[in-house]
Amino acid sequence: MFLKPYRPADLFDELIDSNGQVRPYYQPVVDRLFHLDPADLAHKVKNLELLFLKHGVTFTVYGDERGTERVFPFDPVPRLIPALEWETVEAGLIQRITALNLFLYDVYHEQKILSDKVIPEEVVLSAAHFRPEFVGIKVPRNTYIHVCGTDLIRDRDGRYLVLEDNGRCPSGVSYVLENRAAMKRFFPQLFGSSGVRPVDTYPADLLATLQYIAPRQTALPNCVLLTPGVHNSAYFEHSFLARQMGIEIVEGRDLAVLDGFVFMRTTHGLKQVDVIYRRIDDDFLDPKVFRKDSMLGVPGLVDAVRRGNVALANAIGTGVADDKVTYAYVPDMIRYYLGQEPILDQVPTFLAWRDEDRKYILEHLPELVVKAANESGGYGMLIGPMATKAEIEEFRVRIEATPRNYIAQPVVYFSQHPTLIDGALEGRHVDLRPFILCGETTKVLPGGLTRVALKRGSLVVNSSQGGGSKDTWVLSH
Amino acid sequence: MLSRVADHLYWMSRYIERAENIARLMQVSVELLLDGGGSSARKGGDYWSPVLAATAMEGAFRLLYPDPQPGDSSYFLTLDERNPDSIRSCIREARENARTARDQISDEMWSELNQLYLLIDSDRGAALLEATPQAFFEKIIQSSLLFGGITSATLSRTEGWHFLQLGKFLERADKTSRFLDIKAQSVDPSDTDLEALEWGTILRACSAQASYRRVNGTEFSAERVLDLLLLSTEFPRSVRFCVRMADEMLHNITGTLTGRYSNRCEKLAGALLARLNFAAASDVLDRGLHDYIDDLQVALNETAQAIFETYVLIPQDTTQNIIHPATFDPLGYHYQSQQQQQ
Repeated sequence: MFLKPYRPADLFDELIDSNGQVRPYYQPVVDRLFHLDPADLAHKVKNLELLFLKHGVTFTVYGDERGTERVFPFDPVPRLIPALEWETVEAGLIQRITALNLFLYDVYHEQKILSDKVIPEEVVLSAAHFRPEFVGIKVPRNTYIHVCGTDLIRDRDGRYLVLEDNGRCPSGVSYVLENRAAMKRFFPQLFGSSGVRPVDTYPADLLATLQYIAPRQTALPNCVLLTPGVHNSAYFEHSFLARQMGIEIVEGRDLAVLDGFVFMRTTHGLKQVDVIYRRIDDDFLDPKVFRKDSMLGVPGLVDAVRRGNVALANAIGTGVADDKVTYAYVPDMIRYYLGQEPILDQVPTFLAWRDEDRKYILEHLPELVVKAANESGGYGMLIGPMATKAEIEEFRVRIEATPRNYIAQPVVYFSQHPTLIDGALEGRHVDLRPFILCGETTKVLPGGLTRVALKRGSLVVNSSQGGGSKDTWVLSH
Repeated sequence: MLSRVADHLYWMSRYIERAENIARLMQVSVELLLDGGGSSARKGGDYWSPVLAATAMEGAFRLLYPDPQPGDSSYFLTLDERNPDSIRSCIREARENARTARDQISDEMWSELNQLYLLIDSDRGAALLEATPQAFFEKIIQSSLLFGGITSATLSRTEGWHFLQLGKFLERADKTSRFLDIKAQSVDPSDTDLEALEWGTILRACSAQASYRRVNGTEFSAERVLDLLLLSTEFPRSVRFCVRMADEMLHNITGTLTGRYSNRCEKLAGALLARLNFAAASDVLDRGLHDYIDDLQVALNETAQAIFETYVLIPQDTTQNIIHPATFDPLGYHYQSQQQQQ
C-alpha cells in the first residue's frame, strides 16, 4: 500500500521499469513488503540499528576528539540482482582484476605496456602510489591485488559502469555479512523462496586466499591481520574479519623483524608470521622505508617482504593501478594483456594533465565531476552541478597548479532504488561494491555492499558523508 | 597469545571488577547514610571520605575539587570523566580494552559490556543515578556479575581466560583489603553500636553477610570478620581466596606445578599466598590491621608489576635490536598511566 505513491524519477530505477511496472524478479519481495505495516517496518529498523550499536557494528567518525562511533544507517528494502545480470557483472570483474594484476606485474618488471606505448610512461611513473623501490621484486604467485572492492554504478540505461577500482585496502565487506545476518533476523518473511545466494563463505575464502601466498607452505601458515588500531574508522571490520577467520589481529607494535623474518610478540615469546593481511596503507607500513613518522608500521617489514620471508596482501604498490588517471587506461590494458574487449564499461574520463582535456575541463567545470587522482572516501571531489561558484573557482586553481592530480568525468546520475524514508518509499541513488578475491582461483562474492545516498538527490554514498547501506541479493535463478 | 592482547584482557577484567567494587562500597554507604550512621558523618566530616580513601582517590579528588560542595564527591566517584577511576571511566576503559581484544572474547561478553557502557555513558545513566542511586549501583554490580557468568559459560579455559581471571582476582584482593582498611582507620572501640554497624557495612559490601552469620551468628568481632574476609579459603571475595586463584592462574599460564615457580610473578604470588596460608587473625591484629594491609598491598602491586614485566614487556635482551623506541614507548606509557590509577 505504501509503495503506491512511489514515483521513479527520470533515471534508471532498480525496481520499476520504464513502463512503470515492477520488474518481475522484484515482484515476490514487493508482495511480501506489502504485508508489512510501515510503522512496524520503521520500528524494526530502529531495533536493528540498536542491535548494531550494541554489537559494536560501527564506524568511527574522524575529526571528533572522542572518536564517536556511529552505526552505518540501514535500509530494509533489499537490492536484487537477477542471476543472468550477475553473470555478466562477475565475468566483467574477473576480467578486469586479471588485467590489473597483469598490469601490476608488468610495471614492476619489464614495463612492456609502457615501452609499447599503450599507456604513456609518465602516467605510471608519476603516480603517487607507484613504488619504484619494488621494481624487480618478486611477489608470491605474481599476484598484487588479492582483495579488491570495485565500485559499480548504473547509468540511465541500466548499464553497469566501473567507477573505481579499489585495490589497496578496500573496506565494507563486514557490512555485507552483518547486513545479511540482520535481514535474516529482522525480516525473515521477506526472503520467502527467493533463492538468495549466501555470502557467509567470504571469511573462509579470504583465509584460503591468504594461505595461498604463504612463503612457507606449512600445514597451517600463520596469517595475521594488521590494523592501525582501535581508533581507525574501520576497526570494527578488522576485528570482525580476524574473528571470522580465527586469526590474530595485530598492531605494528606487536610485530618485530629479526634477521629479515617477521615475528609477533606473544606471552610465550616470538612467533613467526607468514602472511600479513594489512589494512594499513603503504605509506605507514615501515618507517625505515616509507613515512619516517609512522607509528603504525613495523621497522624492517619491507626488507622482510623483499627477501620473500613474509607475504603481504595486498602487495606494496597496488595504488598505481587504482589511481584515477590509470583508470582511464584500464580498457586498453584489458585489450593489451587479454586480447579481449572489456565486458564492463566505465565512465568516460578527462585527464587534466593532457592539454586539450584540461582546456575542456576548465571550460566545463559546472557540468563535470572532478576527482583528485589519489583520494578516496568521497573526499577531494567536486560535483560541478551542485557546487557553489567559490568551490568551482577553488578547484580551477588546484587543477591548474597540479594537473596530474585531477581527472574529470561527466556527471552520471546513477540508478536509484526505493528506500524507506520517514515511513514511505522514496528513490535514492545507489552504487554497488562487489568484493573480489584473487587466490588460487578468482572469486567474486555474490552480492556486495549496496550503498545508498540517504539525502534526496545526493550522489555521495560514502559512510563518512551521510550514506547508508542495503542488503544485496544475488538471485540463484 | 599476543602480549598486548593478554594485557588488554587483564585490564578489561580489572576495570570491571574495580567498577563493581566502587559500586558495592557506594551502595552500602548510601544505606548507611539513610540509617544516619557512619562515624565520619557523626563527626561532621565529608560523608564519602572513607570511600575516597578506600579507593585511593582522595588526592585526585582534592586536586579536582579544592573547595568541595555537597554532591561533588559522589559525582567524582560515579560519573566524573576527569576521574580516571570513576565508575564511568572504569567501564569505559574496560570496554575500550575489550574492543581492542574483541577477537579473543565471546560475542555475548562483548555485548553485555558494551550495553553497560552505552547506558552509563548516556543521559539515561545519569538519570538513573539521580532518581534511584541504589538501582544505579545495583545495575553496575549485576552487570559485572553477569559478565563474569557469561565469561565462565562462553570462554575456553585457555590463556585468555587465565589472564582475565588474573586481573579480576588481583583487583578483588586489592579492593577487599582496602575495605578492611576503612575499618582499620576508623576503629573507635568505645562505641559498640557503631562497631557493629561498620563491620556489617563492610561485610555487606563484600556480599559476605549471610556467610558470616551462618558461621558466627549476629555478633561481630574483628577476628571473625578477618577470618572471613582476609583468610577464608572458601569465601570467593576473601583476600586469601583471590590470591590463591591468581597464583593458580599464573601456574596455568606456564604449566608450572603449584608450590614451585618458574618466573618472578609466580614467586611473588606464591610467597604472598604462603604468608596468608599461615596467618591467623590474632597475628594480624597484633601486627596492627592497617600496617598488615599496607604490606599486603605492596605485595599485590609487586606481583602485578612482575606480571607486566614477564608477559607484556618482553625482556630487552631478546628484542633490543628490533623494537623501535618510538613504537615501543606507547605500550610502556599505556601501562604506566594505568598503574597510576590504582
